[in-house]
Amino acid sequence: MPFDPSALTLEMLVAALGLGILVLGLIVPKGSRHGLGWLTLFGLLGILGVAVSMWGDSRELIGGMYLVDNYALFWKITFLLAAALVVLGSMRYVDDMGSQAEYYSMTVFAALGMMVMASAGDFITLYLGLELMTIAFIILVCFRKTDAKSVEAGMKYVLLAGMSSAVLLYGMSLLYGLTGSVIMLNVSQVIAVQPLTPALILAVVLLIAGLGFKISAVPFHMWSPDVYEGAPTPVTSFLAMGSKAASFAVLLRLFVTGLPGIWANWTMVVAILAAVTMIVGNLVAIPQTNVKRLLAYSSIAQAGYIMVGLITASEAGIKGVMFYAFLYVFATVGAFTVAGYFYSVTGSDELKDYAGLSQRSPLMAAVMLVALLSMAGIPPLAGFVGKFYLFKTIVDGYLWLAFIGLIMSMVSVYYYLRVALVMYRDEPLDPTPIKLPSPVAVTLILAMVVTMVVGIYPGPLSEVVNSAAHSFFLH
Amino acid sequence: MSDWAGVFIFFAVAIVFGAGGIVTSFLIHPRRNNPVKLEEYECGLPTQGPTWVQFRTSYFLYALLFVIFDVETIYLYPWAVKFQSLGLFAFIEMIIFIFILIVGLWYAWKEGALEWK
Amino acid sequence: MPAISLTHYVVLSALLFSIGLFGVLTKRNAVAVLICIELMLNAVNINLVAFSKYITPADFVGQIFSIFVITVAAAEVGVGLAIIIAIYRNRLSVNLDDFDWLKW
Repeated sequence: MPFDPSALTLEMLVAALGLGILVLGLIVPKGSRHGLGWLTLFGLLGILGVAVSMWGDSRELIGGMYLVDNYALFWKITFLLAAALVVLGSMRYVDDMGSQAEYYSMTVFAALGMMVMASAGDFITLYLGLELMTIAFIILVCFRKTDAKSVEAGMKYVLLAGMSSAVLLYGMSLLYGLTGSVIMLNVSQVIAVQPLTPALILAVVLLIAGLGFKISAVPFHMWSPDVYEGAPTPVTSFLAMGSKAASFAVLLRLFVTGLPGIWANWTMVVAILAAVTMIVGNLVAIPQTNVKRLLAYSSIAQAGYIMVGLITASEAGIKGVMFYAFLYVFATVGAFTVAGYFYSVTGSDELKDYAGLSQRSPLMAAVMLVALLSMAGIPPLAGFVGKFYLFKTIVDGYLWLAFIGLIMSMVSVYYYLRVALVMYRDEPLDPTPIKLPSPVAVTLILAMVVTMVVGIYPGPLSEVVNSAAHSFFLH
Repeated sequence: MSDWAGVFIFFAVAIVFGAGGIVTSFLIHPRRNNPVKLEEYECGLPTQGPTWVQFRTSYFLYALLFVIFDVETIYLYPWAVKFQSLGLFAFIEMIIFIFILIVGLWYAWKEGALEWK
Repeated sequence: MPAISLTHYVVLSALLFSIGLFGVLTKRNAVAVLICIELMLNAVNINLVAFSKYITPADFVGQIFSIFVITVAAAEVGVGLAIIIAIYRNRLSVNLDDFDWLKW
């Protein structure tokens, strides 16, 4: 049997870390569990080191069920980084929530699910990774189980995630029936010589709908503002970037590796979805008064931008998606860590309470500003480069979409600057300075520095992403 | 035709099993109604509060744990059937699988989900 | 009457899926919605097993897939029911119309 377990080193290490933390949480007496957060963090960083050292490894396991390549590895590094940043930024927040071992362990398992998704080469692996991530997130979303808002968000998430999984699965089962295989590489060969039957169209529609839920593309976005608002803030940030990035990784695999022959028929649908997602996300974000809800709608709009990269399904498009997702991780961590820490200090997510934040904590205000401007795509910051790569791929053929993207970016500047105005212009109601604990400060500085450095000097990251996108087509 | 015979027998048995009891009791029960008999059953008193009373939540916790562990053992069956030909690698994999299940059970135990409060 | 073929299974599965989807979108009780999600997943299982039997009789990929679907669905329903218990303790209701603290 040509099965080499060493190709799964990363996944096994992450699984061992998650289980180990759960067991340690049972053994270590309550009250002395503060070390668990640090243990998780250093465990994730160690695995990140292993991941970087595996760069260049390219294999297909069990006839293409599991694909190990630079493309998957880049996503895995992104997810590990995201998980590490979330853990670092949320230590204080988690201390306030009580039981911690479960929190860290579920964060690690969610990251594991995303990593499995990034490498999935067949529908079964894809589904298992997706559900591992989703179930871990469901538990994380309702983690403050005495807070009715958190539990309500958890219930909405479990019902809608279950429904979207079922829709996705039905699409997969139809594809399996049409092609007789669940392995994407084989599916693509069979599909290439088949006519476009109604069953195939239905299968693709169901797949797009199912994954559209996960990336919260309009019109499948209804769940995300509610869930994002109710969930504990660090979880929201992980959900906003991690689950979205993983779903994009899967979308690319599914449609570019699995269904390349018929993808050309679907680009118009995706273009329209992307346009509607950008428009609705940005326009509905304008009247929001709750910062988490505003960020939720802005993250819907971001999903719209990233979908632009799916349209050409070329190396350049894939590169754009990966580049943007990587930056989006840092911008999201920055913005949500500020919101999360602000909530633990003041107990409020309302925009009006952010008044005068620049006087109370210059760092928090600066990071929020940089993160928001990067999401808007203001030139010296990373988001501009990301949007440039994305929209560059569609200027011939879908110029109208590029225009919509441009206009909507301008609209987004309006509501992002509204937050900035409140933070910088208004006088604080309560002028006591906010003292930042060092883990939170480190997270914020990291998020800000990466966002600025990549914006000014995108060369190295761009080359790494190029190599990752190139490896995508080698199977 | 033999395909459909199976389906029909299945259907017929299911319907007879479900409807049979209701119909029989409707046919043979004695009809001697009086006002007291038609009242709701609550020790003869009009009902107080919601009649949809709940089971104790501890019962649900047991049921949840049972469902999860019961269903996960589904993987043991194919493994047990093919045990001879699968060899050592599958054995180790199954040990790891069972170990993960045991960690889960241990967690439930330690968190007090198995105690009847 | 023609012998039972793949079409019959696929039609049955499509009906079951549609009933489940309809229920998810219209039911107002959280437990009922979970049951309807189970209906949808069982429709998928029927599809998978039928395709496995008629289209790829040599390998059992579809049947293996359906085993995974069953177990993962059990885990998901376990989490879902636990959340419903938690929310019931909070609010004494499992009616979705009552959960409007977050704008739906």
